[in-house]
Amino acid sequence: MSSSPVAGPAATGPSSGSDTAPVGRPVPDRPSGGPGRHGRRIRPVSAGARPGPPRRVTRYWPQYLAISPYYLLFSVFMFFPVIYTVYLAFQKWDGIGEMHFVGFQQFRFLWDDPVFWLSVRNTLVIWVLSTVPMLFLALVLAVLVNSTKRFTAFYRVALFIPSITSLVAIAIFFGAIFSNNFGLINAILRSVHVSAVPWMSNEWTIKLVIAALMTWQWTGYNAIIYLAGLQAIPSELYEAARMDGAGPVRIFFSITIPLLRPIILFTVVVSTVTGLQSFTEPQVLFGSEAATNPNSGGPGQAGLTTLLYFYHQAFDNNDFGYGAAIVWAFFLLILLIVLVNWRLVQRKERRP
Amino acid sequence: MDLSRRRFLQAAVLAAATAGATAACGGGGSGSSGSKDSKNLTLWYWSGGLSDKVVADAKKHFSDITLKTSVVGGDFKTKLLTGLRAAQSAPDITGIKGEDIASFLPNANRFVDLKTVGADKLVPEYLSWKLKQATTQDGKLIGFPIDIGPCATFYREDLFAKAGLPTDPAKVSAELATWDDYFKAGVELHKAVPKTFLVNNIGSVFTMVIGQGTRRFIDEDNKFIGDQDHIRTAWTTAVKPYTLGIDAKINDNTWNAAVSGGALGTEIGAAWHALDISNAAPGTKGKWRVASLPGGPSNLGGSFLAIPATSGNPDEAFKIISWILSPENQARGFTDAALFPTAPAAYKLPALTGGDPFFGGQKTIEIFGPAAEKIPAAFEAPADAAVSAPFYSELTSIEAKGKDPEAAWKDAVSQAKQIAQRQGVK
Repeated sequence: MSSSPVAGPAATGPSSGSDTAPVGRPVPDRPSGGPGRHGRRIRPVSAGARPGPPRRVTRYWPQYLAISPYYLLFSVFMFFPVIYTVYLAFQKWDGIGEMHFVGFQQFRFLWDDPVFWLSVRNTLVIWVLSTVPMLFLALVLAVLVNSTKRFTAFYRVALFIPSITSLVAIAIFFGAIFSNNFGLINAILRSVHVSAVPWMSNEWTIKLVIAALMTWQWTGYNAIIYLAGLQAIPSELYEAARMDGAGPVRIFFSITIPLLRPIILFTVVVSTVTGLQSFTEPQVLFGSEAATNPNSGGPGQAGLTTLLYFYHQAFDNNDFGYGAAIVWAFFLLILLIVLVNWRLVQRKERRP
Repeated sequence: MDLSRRRFLQAAVLAAATAGATAACGGGGSGSSGSKDSKNLTLWYWSGGLSDKVVADAKKHFSDITLKTSVVGGDFKTKLLTGLRAAQSAPDITGIKGEDIASFLPNANRFVDLKTVGADKLVPEYLSWKLKQATTQDGKLIGFPIDIGPCATFYREDLFAKAGLPTDPAKVSAELATWDDYFKAGVELHKAVPKTFLVNNIGSVFTMVIGQGTRRFIDEDNKFIGDQDHIRTAWTTAVKPYTLGIDAKINDNTWNAAVSGGALGTEIGAAWHALDISNAAPGTKGKWRVASLPGGPSNLGGSFLAIPATSGNPDEAFKIISWILSPENQARGFTDAALFPTAPAAYKLPALTGGDPFFGGQKTIEIFGPAAEKIPAAFEAPADAAVSAPFYSELTSIEAKGKDPEAAWKDAVSQAKQIAQRQGVK
């Protein structure tokens, strides 16, 4: 990582006059192993005549002050709590009593906790069941909307509405549609003499319902992003392809998909991060479970996602140290999956 | 970005002043550190936690005190924990839900021992088993009971008649006195009316049986006893309706529809559950009756009022609590918010002795009153709710996946042991 800051000042060193920094550096003009593209990208940004770092801060202080509220709020309400959970993960704490340092004990508990692993499995299954159809449908919808000539604004608004609808309202609505005994879908099934499906109590259908909910909510949002990407593709390319005799399928796979790859990468990463954090969906769908066993993720705990399990441990059981350990272990898992996704989509880019 | 520096500074100062003023307002609610004779008291409760009419009258009755009430929504316990941690924002009087009271006992020092502010004189007038729930092992009383949930069997008289079962509450209470009698009646009911089941789910049976005993999942010596006979018996009893095919297996939000549609012939639940039933199924008015719970009285729920140690005026605060929870006002709370009184004196007041039209004019106090006074006093450890959770989860696994009850029991016990270990139980 240290390569880019070195490459930056090194390139501008002679012209900028701030020759204190590069002096200590052994070989200023070598990109020091960093990826060539990266170095090139840095250079133009810092190439303008600019004063040294200390003067820069003092000169632009009103601007820094102007953007400071965000950073202050961020550090108080986001950064500090995040760091604090690291500390908490090594404590045993009930929320108001004394904290006890317990070392890695919470993580050892986590390793042996079958419910934690069940929740991780649930989360991954729900994520796959929702993300794959969601991104596929979004792409199809985006291509369809992109080719429409009339009502385009209407389609765009229609696509965007689900993502700004209250998640709780959607979850209650889905709960009513998929209800075992009195749901809309089972009523339809019965009316055509097909036996009803116990959507809300079967291990797999519970996950399907949650995944369907997430797909319904976020397909339109991703479609809008794809649509923006599609409109950035120059029409000459399509014309050229058509001149060469390519059909719509060939155009889609040889032009649209490759040029959309950065956008696809973005949506994959974002849906991975958000899809793995499903919490409200199972919480509302199976939240009616009275006081005896709240937030347990429904029958057979089939809808228990990791974040719901974390919430249950921290806020129902007041085991804040264990809760912190759960979220940190899960953070590492999300990071791993995002990296894997990144590599997968990136590698394909190099091949053609 | 040609923002003039002076204009910018003006804007910044204005913004800072606004933020400061907002913060001051937020903290000003119960500025009550130091002296203990504040005349401004705050009261936190949740919607339905107290009778709003009684609370409104309390404000008038204590004319020299400014009582500010907040009906706190969402997760009450979490908000109270946060409030207690930042002493500035803690209320002077707060509600504590029945299922949370045990988890506050280890931090009893965060609350005023109510016996030091006058509760010791009132204790004999209230149900001792309920007070025990808010009493620490060294005898401090941190909460005064708002209500209780004496349990009973709610049953559909019309469906019982169809199945040739007894219909008179006294007879039902006598003939369905044990769990086995109750299940046998359920089998007959289901045979006569095939769409009707006996219980909504087996977790509710488990809750009832546990509540009938004096021991729960952890004993007074902080030892895990969730694998012992009393829990095992409760488990076996709970699984019976499942194996007999009289379990409706309702673990989602379709309970309302099941009640109104006649899928449930009985409901076992606390006195406040009557309100759930009448809200869910107004069309079944007059068809329900109440009988004693099979196997003896049990309790489910019932909240407390407590005074955080940071309270600005604990003496006045307790005067307000004891006024709100006087037998007369509890009787009003019963009429107004279905809060079942914790002072037996209230059971003789007209508000409770009248007939309930939803139950065909039955005087339900004849069932709930004696039950309330006979509920066994059980020791509930702080980690009890956490440790019991796997048992409920595994019971739903049996219902949802058809998991073998024996395997489910083993999994429940091993998970419960693990949670117990995490919670510091031996």
